[in-house]
Amino acid sequence: MAIAKAERLMNLALCLMNTRRPLSKRELRDSIEAYREISSADAFNRMFERDKDDLRELGLVIEIVDALDGDTGYVARRDRNRLPEIELDAEEAAALTLAARVWQQARLAGAASGALQKLRAAGVPFEEAGYADAESGHSVIEPRIPAHEPAFEPLMLAARDRRPVSFDYRKANAARPEAREVEPWALECWRGHWYLAGFDRVRGAGRVFRLSRITGRVRTRAGRYTAEVPDHVDVRQTVESWAGEGARGTARIRLRHGAGYPLRARALSAVAVDGGWDELEIPYGHGLDAWLVEFGPDALVLEPADLRADVIDRLRAVAHSG
Amino acid sequence: MVNAIDQTRRMLSLVTYLRERPGARVGDVARAFGVTEAELIGDLNVLPMCGTSFRGGDLLDIDTDGEHIWWHNPGTADQVTEPLRLAADEATALLVAARAVATLPGLREGDRQALLRACAKLEAAAGEAAGASARLSVTFESEGSVFADVDRAIAERRRLWIRYYSPARDELTEREVDPIRLFAVGHTYFEAWCRLSEDRRMFRLDRVAEIKLLDAPSDPPPIEPRDLSAGLIQTSGDDPEVVVEVGPGGRWVAEYYPHDSAEELPGGGLRVTLRTPDPGSLRRLALRLGADGRITEPRELADSARQAAVSALAAYGEV
Repeated sequence: MAIAKAERLMNLALCLMNTRRPLSKRELRDSIEAYREISSADAFNRMFERDKDDLRELGLVIEIVDALDGDTGYVARRDRNRLPEIELDAEEAAALTLAARVWQQARLAGAASGALQKLRAAGVPFEEAGYADAESGHSVIEPRIPAHEPAFEPLMLAARDRRPVSFDYRKANAARPEAREVEPWALECWRGHWYLAGFDRVRGAGRVFRLSRITGRVRTRAGRYTAEVPDHVDVRQTVESWAGEGARGTARIRLRHGAGYPLRARALSAVAVDGGWDELEIPYGHGLDAWLVEFGPDALVLEPADLRADVIDRLRAVAHSG
Repeated sequence: MVNAIDQTRRMLSLVTYLRERPGARVGDVARAFGVTEAELIGDLNVLPMCGTSFRGGDLLDIDTDGEHIWWHNPGTADQVTEPLRLAADEATALLVAARAVATLPGLREGDRQALLRACAKLEAAAGEAAGASARLSVTFESEGSVFADVDRAIAERRRLWIRYYSPARDELTEREVDPIRLFAVGHTYFEAWCRLSEDRRMFRLDRVAEIKLLDAPSDPPPIEPRDLSAGLIQTSGDDPEVVVEVGPGGRWVAEYYPHDSAEELPGGGLRVTLRTPDPGSLRRLALRLGADGRITEPRELADSARQAAVSALAAYGEV
């Protein structure tokens, strides 16, 4: 039976960490049983490269040096791989225990528990007790970060390693997806949805993409970024303007008594008028027309005229449907 | 299937951890590493096959009788037992989560400070591995004062009175609830036993118009905790089916509403089939879609949206 991958990786890690001099590929192949079982040199080389990448993902710094006899040598130096001293008090340790439970995405959930294991091995005093226990003296909050979008992991890795990507993207109102080529800057999760900010090579400018609108696979492209990465990327500001959070003015509307609580909650003023109606002043931004239509006959726009016209158009579309 | 990467990561830390704790109990170690005892035994079966040189025989001599774990030759493997630096993903996973939680409005100040202190220490220890964590960020939406009251009610096991907005019926209702848990998934919610409906209910904090802590003790019946990873809205196959046909401008329906199916239509549209216990609650959706889509089933729902639009138009003097 083939030797399990974890055993092979473990042996490679131990060999690289415990050598005082760089080891050649041949020496590593002779030392590790799983490699000795492979007869083809090509297959061994491919496996060795993959294993080295996997160990680097786990944090191991593997140096490649030219050894004296012309062979390439590999070593994971002790001083470069040691976790520096870290002292956390019980409260700080409890805070990290909570943080480690937050990810619902497999790769980052695994990374978070791996980080706790390394810290635990380094002597950080993590308690077994649950953070969310009523008696613990902590907030009882259970935070969860969802990341169900298939594009999340490849984009996270691309942003981390600064690799350009390409993907098909369907804009909110587009009939068809379009091919995009993007240099990813940052990912942000807001209201449970992930967004990517990056440099759009075709449009020659920064853009924000919603991950759920990426269709098909995200492909990594060779080469470097062509545009400078900004120091500060504000994904949220862009998304908020899509969501109609940025108000450009105020609107005067009427609401039936008792109706439209969310509109009332953001009203600048509200007074009762005749016939069971209230008159409100509310911030007017993108998307307000669609929202007001939801309230049907319980909401009436007085001004501005363009908002009133948009709402009437939308109501007509529904009245004449079917 | 065993994830080889996670297992390797865990075994590297186990080696360091076990060396410091001769005779450690299997159960304790499994709990500390967040794995089952069977998984830990699996690791302990692999470790004796690992070492610095297979042919030299310098293997880890870690042994277990199923209850305790022993390391027989700690002297031979000095170098492998140092705690390892954090990988970029490891630092990112903890830092991004800790920063996100620290920004939750309503979180207890002591917790916020502990999170921020832990972040600072972690950044220092992670060094350059912490750099990439700036490329991910998460914001939870919450209502600070409501959060603090629910947090306190759960900790003190007290009943709450709330005035709560139901978007489905566009109305506020008053109810007494026994809070069970508080959680954030994008928005922040709490789950409670609702004494009005005598059922468990989910409440979104930004829809709580008013909240009061009561002196009465909270007394929810024992209920199975929900698996949050399965999504917040769990519909049942017995719920009535609603079919929505949208054009390209209405595709967002499939992003916001959990659905059974979303079938592509010619021209970039979608036919979305979803289930809801209360189809009337989707009248708002039908109105909102306007020219971007319409509800095709059930007929009564489509009719009620049309009726609502007709009477709204009448108020504008339009027919």
